[in-house]
Amino acid sequence: MTGELKPTLLPLGDRALLVRYADSLSEAANRAAIIAARRLEESPPAGVEEIAPGLVSVLLRYGAGTDFRRLSGEVALLLATPGAERQGQARDIAIRFDGEDVPDVAQRLGLQPADFVTRHNAAPLRILATGFAPGFVYCGFHPAELVVPRREQVRPMVPAGTVLFAAGQTAIAATPIRTGWHIIGTTAFQNFDPLGNPPTGLSAGDTVRFTVAP
Amino acid sequence: MTEITILRAGPLTTLQDRGRFGMLKHGISASGPMDRTAFAAAGAALERAGSTAIEYTQGLSIETDGEVIVSAGEKRRLRAGERLDLPPASGNYGYLRFEREIDVPLLLGSRSTNVTVGLGGHKGRALKPGDRLVLGEPGIAAPAPGGTPGAGPIRIIWGLHADLFDAALRRHLTEQPFTISASLDRMGVRLTEPSNLFASQRRLSLVSDAIVPGDIQILGDGTPIVLMRDHQPTGGYPRIATVVSDDLDRFAQLRPGTSVTFRPVAL
Repeated sequence: MTGELKPTLLPLGDRALLVRYADSLSEAANRAAIIAARRLEESPPAGVEEIAPGLVSVLLRYGAGTDFRRLSGEVALLLATPGAERQGQARDIAIRFDGEDVPDVAQRLGLQPADFVTRHNAAPLRILATGFAPGFVYCGFHPAELVVPRREQVRPMVPAGTVLFAAGQTAIAATPIRTGWHIIGTTAFQNFDPLGNPPTGLSAGDTVRFTVAP
Repeated sequence: MTEITILRAGPLTTLQDRGRFGMLKHGISASGPMDRTAFAAAGAALERAGSTAIEYTQGLSIETDGEVIVSAGEKRRLRAGERLDLPPASGNYGYLRFEREIDVPLLLGSRSTNVTVGLGGHKGRALKPGDRLVLGEPGIAAPAPGGTPGAGPIRIIWGLHADLFDAALRRHLTEQPFTISASLDRMGVRLTEPSNLFASQRRLSLVSDAIVPGDIQILGDGTPIVLMRDHQPTGGYPRIATVVSDDLDRFAQLRPGTSVTFRPVAL
C-alpha cells in the first residue's frame, strides 16, 4: 500500500522544502508522510535543520547556503527505496462526552447521543499529526458513517483538554484555541507540557483508544 | 544583582532571543526577532551580549538599579538609578540588548516570547510598565548581522498554493502596490488594496499544511496577510507566495500606511 505514492518536492520560501504526498487528506498519504519523516530523521540530509511531519507532508527546514535542487535530489533518492511503517506507542484516553455539540452531532448522524459515544470509541485511531497549536493532535480516521463537516462559525477560545470532532477525525486541544470543530467533550489528558522533554506525549503514528471517563 | 524596571513600553514589547527552533513537530513555531538584522546589530555593538533582547515598539523607557552596559545599536553605559528613554525605532521594532543575560527561564531551549501561545519570555506575555527583569550571567560575543537590508520591491517565491490562483490574481500580487494595514502584530501583517481583487478567489477547501514565516496567505474575505514569527505552525488557508528570508526583516519594519510591492524571484 505505502511506497506506491510518489511525493512532490516543493519549496516553501527559500529556507524550507516540503515533501508532499497529496493535496488532500487520505490514509495512504498520511501514512506515507509519517514513514518519510522517520526515514529523513534517521538519515537527515546535510544542511537540514529541522524535520516536522504534517498530515500529508514533511517539512524540512534548511539553513543558508543549502541548495534546494541539491537537497531535493538527495531527499528523492533517500525516499525512493520503500520504508517500513513503525509501530507507534498505544495509549488509552478517557473522554467525558459532555461537549455542547454532542446532541447536534448525534442528530446529524442519525444517532442517539449514547450510540454516538459508543461508535466514536469503537475502534482505535491513529495520531495523524501534531500541528496548528502546541500539542494539538489530529486522530483518525473514523468510518465514513461518522463524518460530519466543520461548523460554519469559529468559536471563541476553548480550554486545553477540549475534545473536538469533524471531518472524520477527533482532535484534542492541548492549549486554549479558537476552533471551527464540534465540541464533543473534555479530557484530563494533557498532551503539552512546556517543561517536559519532549514537550508533547503523542507522536504521529501512535495509536489512541478512546474510553468513557468514569 | 542588577534589576531593571520597565517604565514605559509600547504594545507588543517582548523578550526575544534568536528563536525556539526544532519544536515544529510539537506544534510550536520558532518566534524570535521580527527583524533579525536589527537584533544582531544591537548585540554586535557590545563586546559581549546576553542572548535575549527587549524587542520594543513605539519607544521604551527603563530604569536600572545598578550599572549596566546596553545597546540599541550603539553601546551605552547606564549608571545605577539612571533612566533610559529610547525613541520609537525607525520602523516598527527596536532592540535593546544588555551585556548580561536577562534572567528568565529557558523554555524549550529559548527565552523568546511566543505571544500567540503565551509561552516563554517574561511570564509568556508582552512587557508592561512596572515589570522587573533581573540581569544575570555575562553574555558572549554576539554574531554580526548576516547582511544589510536590501531596497526596492519585497522579493517573493511563488507558494504552496500558487497554482490554485489564476494568472490574473498572481499578476495582481506582483503588479499592484499593497498597503501595510494597522492590523499587524508578531503573528501576521494584514495588507490592503482598494480593489480587493482576491475576494473574487473561490473558497478552497485545503488540507492543513506547514506554514513558514513570510507566507502570504489569502483569507476567506480576500485579505492578504503575511505570516510572521509567531505564526501558527500549520494552516489551511491558501498561500500564494512566500517572502524570501533575507527580505522579511525589512518587511517587518514597514509602518502602517506604507506602500509595498512584491517581485517574484526564482529560487
